[in-house]
Amino acid sequence: MDLFESFSIAREALRANRLRTILTTLGVIIGVAAVIALVSVGQTVRTSVVGEFATLGPELLWVLPGKAREGSQFAREEGRLSLTFEDAEAVAKDADAVSGVSPILQTSIEVTSAGRRVTTTVVGTTPNIADVRGLSMQAGRFLSASDLVRRKRAAVLGPSLARRLYRTPANILGRRVIINGRAFDVVGLLRSEGQVLGLDLDDRLYIPVTTAQQLFRIDYASFIFVKAKDTASVPRALRETERILLRRHGEEDFTVLTQSQLLTSLDAILRILTLALTSIAAISLVVGGIGIMNIMLVSVTERTREIGIRKAIGARRLHILTQFLIEAVVISLVGGLMGMLVGLALSWGISTSLFNSAPSLGSTAPIVLLAFGFSAAVGVVFGVYPAWRAAQLHPVEALRYE
Amino acid sequence: MTPVVALREATKIYRLGKVDVPALRGVGLAIEPGEFVAIMGPSGSGKSTLMNLLGCLDRPTSGTYLFGGHDVSQLSDDELAELRNRRIGFVFQTFNLLPRLSALKNVEMPMVYAGVSRAERLRRAQAALERVGLAHRASHAPPELSGGEQQRVAIARALVNTPSILLADEPTGNLDSRSGEEILAIVQELNAQDMTIAMVTHDRDIAEHSQRIIHLRDGRLVRDEMVPRPKQARQELIDLAVVSP
Repeated sequence: MDLFESFSIAREALRANRLRTILTTLGVIIGVAAVIALVSVGQTVRTSVVGEFATLGPELLWVLPGKAREGSQFAREEGRLSLTFEDAEAVAKDADAVSGVSPILQTSIEVTSAGRRVTTTVVGTTPNIADVRGLSMQAGRFLSASDLVRRKRAAVLGPSLARRLYRTPANILGRRVIINGRAFDVVGLLRSEGQVLGLDLDDRLYIPVTTAQQLFRIDYASFIFVKAKDTASVPRALRETERILLRRHGEEDFTVLTQSQLLTSLDAILRILTLALTSIAAISLVVGGIGIMNIMLVSVTERTREIGIRKAIGARRLHILTQFLIEAVVISLVGGLMGMLVGLALSWGISTSLFNSAPSLGSTAPIVLLAFGFSAAVGVVFGVYPAWRAAQLHPVEALRYE
Repeated sequence: MTPVVALREATKIYRLGKVDVPALRGVGLAIEPGEFVAIMGPSGSGKSTLMNLLGCLDRPTSGTYLFGGHDVSQLSDDELAELRNRRIGFVFQTFNLLPRLSALKNVEMPMVYAGVSRAERLRRAQAALERVGLAHRASHAPPELSGGEQQRVAIARALVNTPSILLADEPTGNLDSRSGEEILAIVQELNAQDMTIAMVTHDRDIAEHSQRIIHLRDGRLVRDEMVPRPKQARQELIDLAVVSP
């Protein structure tokens, strides 16, 4: 029997129960749309987050307090106090493969200016952070060595914070900002850095780390940025940093991460997250499949007489099986196709509105194929039992069915 | 000559729960090529069961069934389906057309299962509809046709694969007398063109259109009579027209 005929029979039958067909298809549409949207958004999140981190520079190393152990709590209490300003100086002095070191003392705190009061991130650091992190100025200057030595109350603002704090953000040099009850001079305005992990890197201000230690009565660093001379010397910078800190601390109460390590673990986390979300979405596709099975069983019962007639005039079991299977597959494929469109629209909307990047065609093509194949498989898997039941009907009994 | 169909000591026992219900208790019957046989009997006599056996819709519990000289009582479901498709034409009391398909599509259906090409199907279906005088109604779906027209579509469908035998189960049972006579007229014309026909009926008047009447009672063949002068449906149609102009 030719396939075209089977398809036209299926189309006829599906058209005869339009509402039922639409509702059943809807189950598949939702399932496929959910899978596509989540996989695609997950990919966008991964590429955009990983991409954002990558822009921080491949030569960057993070020195974090506390030892990351398998199955242990990262950054335990005693570990939080393990890094000091002097550690940073020692690494800067002794490590050959390192071009810059910046200790970071960072805290989230309320700052005020001219009656405005906002909570932001205050970063105490050294002037060379500008080089280490690749910061550039929009106006004014960055922190200087004399700011550091004299523990000056000088502050450099990110553009977002400037906008939140001042009515005229372009013209803020020489203004005052109050941190922890002390007045700071605004000496510079940074160029925008954008976001990482949805975190606004421009919503922060930089002050000399010496001033920060005094201000907060703290003498340890939250973490230390180490910049290798170039990408090739990253492994050497890693070994040197670890050796120097181990010598100074006597124990490994710190963790040094390279950017690639960070990216790898970040990527792994996001991958697992995407997978988990997609699995949940896949469940709805299975539910859609059960909907198909249900409706096909009803259809087989309703059309028992038709099956009897077809058998009487010579349909074999395979003919009947194919007929009902194709019907199920048509439902699931149409649902798959429409779900794909809905899913792509959803993922495009979410990606552009949340991450400012449309999902690339190259990354969605395999998902689309997967969803399409999956929905066809759903049709076959959930259609085969009803179709088999139809094929097994005895012609005499089927003909007698009212 | 080899009979078209021949049953020997055929029995059919249905199991209802734990009780065996014999529907046929040993029937021997042969229908020769070109014969027009009516099968009569009261309800419960086994007419339908006999028809199902003759039509290869069911297998005898015991005994043999020769179709065109070949024993088909042990064939598989699919082999029986193929036999029904190519060698047997069915006409049912309730027409059994597929309501969603046009008359033409209904007639094409047996050829779909026979693997006939699309163009050939169309040609043969149209020819078959023409043969029963319904070429002009080919695109209509069964619900748009009268009972008599539907039965003619069913006959066209039964003929389209040029079967060796036409099995009609109360073909006029759902029709008014005039439409019934028309159907009988077509059946008699087919028979005149050498088609072998077996027709189940409970109506003596209808049965007398055939050449031979087989009487069943309680699952047994009780009488096998020849009809010396079968009624001619064409003539009766003319008479009907005279009585009620």
